[in-house]
Amino acid sequence: MKRSMTALAVTSVLTATTLALAGCSGSTGTGSGATAGTAAPVTLTMWGTYGNGGNTAQTDVLNKTLIPSFEASHPGITVKYVDIPYDSLKQKLTTGAAGGELPDLVRSDIGWVAQFASLGVLAPLDEKMSDFSTLSAATYPGSLATNAWNGHYYGLPLDTNTRVLVTSQAALDAAGMSKPPATFDDLKAMAAALKGKKIAVFADSGLQGWNILPWIWSGGGEITDAKLTKATGYLDGSKSVAAVQMLVDLYKQGEIPNLLTGNTGATSTSDGLPKGEYATILDGPWMRDIWKGQFPAFAPIYAPVPAGAGGSISVVGGEDVVIPSTTTHLDAATAFVRYTQSDEFQLAMAKVGQMPVVASAGTKAAAADPFYAPFATQLATAKPRLVIPQSSQVDTILSTELTPAFEGTTTVQAALTSAAKQIDALLTSK
Amino acid sequence: MIDSTQPQVVRAAVSPVAARTTRRRRRAGRATPYLFLAPALVLFVGLIVYPMVRAFQMSFYDWKVLAGATSTFIGFDNYTRAMGDPVFWRGLANSGVYMALSVPPQIVLGLLIAMLLKAKSPSQPVYRVLFYLPVVTSWVVVSLLFKYLFADKGVINWALADVLHLGDGSTSWLSGRWTALIAICALGVWKGIGWSMMIFLAALQGVPESLEEAAVMDGANRWQRFRVVTLPAIRPALGFVVVMLVIGGFNVFTSVLLMTGGGPGGQTEVLLTYMYRQAFTNLDFGYGSAIAVILTVIVFLLSLAQMRLFRGGDEEER
Amino acid sequence: MSALHRTRPASGVLRHVLLILGALIMLTPFVYMVSTSFKSQAYVLTIPPQLVPDPATFDNYVQVLTTQNFAAYFMNSVVVSLTSTVVSVLISSMMAYAFARFRFPGRELLFRLVLVGLMVPAMMLIIPQFILAKQLGLIDSLQGLIVFYVAASISLNTFLLRGFFASIPGELDDAMQVDGANAWTRYWRLVMPLSTPALATTTIFTFLATWDEFAWALTIINDPSKRTLPLAIQLFQGQNATQWGLVFAASVVAVLPVIVVFLIFQKYFVQGLTSGAVKG
Repeated sequence: MKRSMTALAVTSVLTATTLALAGCSGSTGTGSGATAGTAAPVTLTMWGTYGNGGNTAQTDVLNKTLIPSFEASHPGITVKYVDIPYDSLKQKLTTGAAGGELPDLVRSDIGWVAQFASLGVLAPLDEKMSDFSTLSAATYPGSLATNAWNGHYYGLPLDTNTRVLVTSQAALDAAGMSKPPATFDDLKAMAAALKGKKIAVFADSGLQGWNILPWIWSGGGEITDAKLTKATGYLDGSKSVAAVQMLVDLYKQGEIPNLLTGNTGATSTSDGLPKGEYATILDGPWMRDIWKGQFPAFAPIYAPVPAGAGGSISVVGGEDVVIPSTTTHLDAATAFVRYTQSDEFQLAMAKVGQMPVVASAGTKAAAADPFYAPFATQLATAKPRLVIPQSSQVDTILSTELTPAFEGTTTVQAALTSAAKQIDALLTSK
Repeated sequence: MIDSTQPQVVRAAVSPVAARTTRRRRRAGRATPYLFLAPALVLFVGLIVYPMVRAFQMSFYDWKVLAGATSTFIGFDNYTRAMGDPVFWRGLANSGVYMALSVPPQIVLGLLIAMLLKAKSPSQPVYRVLFYLPVVTSWVVVSLLFKYLFADKGVINWALADVLHLGDGSTSWLSGRWTALIAICALGVWKGIGWSMMIFLAALQGVPESLEEAAVMDGANRWQRFRVVTLPAIRPALGFVVVMLVIGGFNVFTSVLLMTGGGPGGQTEVLLTYMYRQAFTNLDFGYGSAIAVILTVIVFLLSLAQMRLFRGGDEEER
Repeated sequence: MSALHRTRPASGVLRHVLLILGALIMLTPFVYMVSTSFKSQAYVLTIPPQLVPDPATFDNYVQVLTTQNFAAYFMNSVVVSLTSTVVSVLISSMMAYAFARFRFPGRELLFRLVLVGLMVPAMMLIIPQFILAKQLGLIDSLQGLIVFYVAASISLNTFLLRGFFASIPGELDDAMQVDGANAWTRYWRLVMPLSTPALATTTIFTFLATWDEFAWALTIINDPSKRTLPLAIQLFQGQNATQWGLVFAASVVAVLPVIVVFLIFQKYFVQGLTSGAVKG
């Protein structure tokens, strides 16, 4: 009986000890960052999203070719790449920042750099790397711009992409066209030709900046002035309104499916085009490998974004490489950043679907693989989305305000005026 | 009299008083209860209550995420901001609608199935497992599954048009606020029925047969027997199910995030998806915390009211 | 058989029709999931839906089981879920016993506090918990998962078990006490054995919750060798396209152990609730 009373006490103590032990062993596991200094062996941790939904081509190149090559030329440095689900990387970066537990390198979406830089999470690379200006001068300006915040650069472009018009021969045949629609008028004509054939002329999966800006820019409109101080007068200017109005008209005629307004149940663009439900979509270079795996018989046709009054202007996508300011291996990390800008790195990634950001490598990649040519051409004029910390709020504002315009409960002008006002407020508070 | 044969898991869960009748003053040392409490309490207070307090504290700040950064105290600003934020109200309304539309079917259908399964038969365990299967499957998996079923070209539309000949099967379920909420509720009900069924089944086993037999002798029909004998006997279980489902209903999150992402245009945003967006997309933790605190308070008050309701009835019976 | 159970054949048929119909509705989504896991992307979402995949392919399963270190993640999930469940059920039952059998200062307040734990949205605690986990050195370790999973499951388990314990007649305790048994003996030898159904319930709930948990695992696990299954499954959801076949194949693999655990414990779930000494 006494024994069983002790059992209670023992259980209590045991639980506490287990927890304490868990604490100890846990802390030894994370001690990789403790040994700073240039001479001692260094392990760099890098977070990224190269994995991309079970497609291992990019992670394989990184882990089996590029990192070993870097480690061979940089004795004492080991690089450990950790793949994070795309939808979760931002949450992980956020909690990591709150706890001061970030890796040494991050492959960040271009849209997040300003946000994390404004929080003080990232190291200003233009101050930390003596050769920054040489490296940055070699990259595409549109990609480089996404690293700027408040007078400093917090990263270097890592890979880039843009959206071009993708169509299929079957769709062109159905519309009786010999070549992809090159202008807004061509697109409208295509819509008329496809009427009643159960093929939507165009499909896209949202109304965020990534989706809607190519149309606004190509139509000659703008989101803000060049200095990012005001959206009113730009986003709700007549050219912006006209470009969006064209989409709204097509939508109301049933020529654009409601995937555009956020119907998550609609056929996705990547399935709809090869299956012949959609005639055209805007998409990026990654689709080649996805279709190759999923629809081997499908032969996509790539063409520039249809031109309006402003020409054919698309949106810049891609990733930047950044260094969290908490790293204790700054020299090793900057060495790896430098390596990412090399032809070796850029061209190896180009082979598996990531477009180079260094202009010279871009030319070489396009020459080596003609697939990239339309993307490279489009990139020459493509623009980045607003480089401000609240870029995700801009996306929310755009889709929230524009959805009713497409559903017909408000006018495009009213929607964009309201969106512009809200973006003005963000711009003044930045 | 019903006491000793009650379905125990559920009955006393909702009525702390039940313990009072059976409790006896123990002479064992005063420290004994605390020794029993200690392991769980240490963990709970340390890893749940303390973070809860911190989250509560955050809601009064313009919270800076970065470790070591100084945050500004802004009093009730985050709360007044919520009061004037239409998306917050829409989220609250949607959470409420979800709760209102998904809880009653789970209770009614769960109880119905439990009644049908009450009698022991060789097939009973098989049905039990089948109905419980959705409960044991992860929310992530079933949310993706239902998004897929309710897709424009999914099974639901196909079944409506080609099998049942209702409409032309062109409904875009996930593109409108109400149709999307229906789809999300359908998932909630489908996933939850097994759970309430199991609790009711346990409760029904505790209804003394003698009572029912007596009712049969008195010439009571099925409905009367259900109303007079069964219902009062499972009242505590009913209370427990209602409380748990209401809590769960207001905390709906994964299914909305994965099925509609709160879209289109924020129409299907519920409180928790909106909180998540504020916290982890806009990194506005102060505001996110304020929304979470409001949600917790609402749920707590509702639960207390319900427990009081069901407990009140419980005491009457004695 | 009592008069009660002598039902007319017609109503028996109706009962079975209703049950079979219900079971079919419950089952169809699963059938569809399994069938999709054997399809290649081109055959996903076709009208009319294909229940039997044609052509069927094992590619998704092969890819799931080979591209990532799936076996290791599976083991991690098993270790984390089993440990968390055992520890949580043990310490929650102790806590529940204290609430059910003792009167002590602060009892009501503490119990209310435990209830609040049921109502707070877990997402909101993540940042403070992460900072805490860092201070405790629990980042990037399975222990860090276990400890927080246990803490998170205490509320519901205590709530359920306390109710059950309270309903076990105190007279039994008294009798044992007269025989000289102390509190631990009464808890371990009397109350626990009588509570098998409730313990089975909490075991299933806890195992389920920890097996599926994603957000916390994502937050604290960095080392790929320490990933749990939900993390691995999420990696199949790409930025640019979701391969449904892959996601569902991974899900089928992940769901099987849960079904096994459930099948093992389900008979205690309802049976025995009113059996034994409890019936008095």
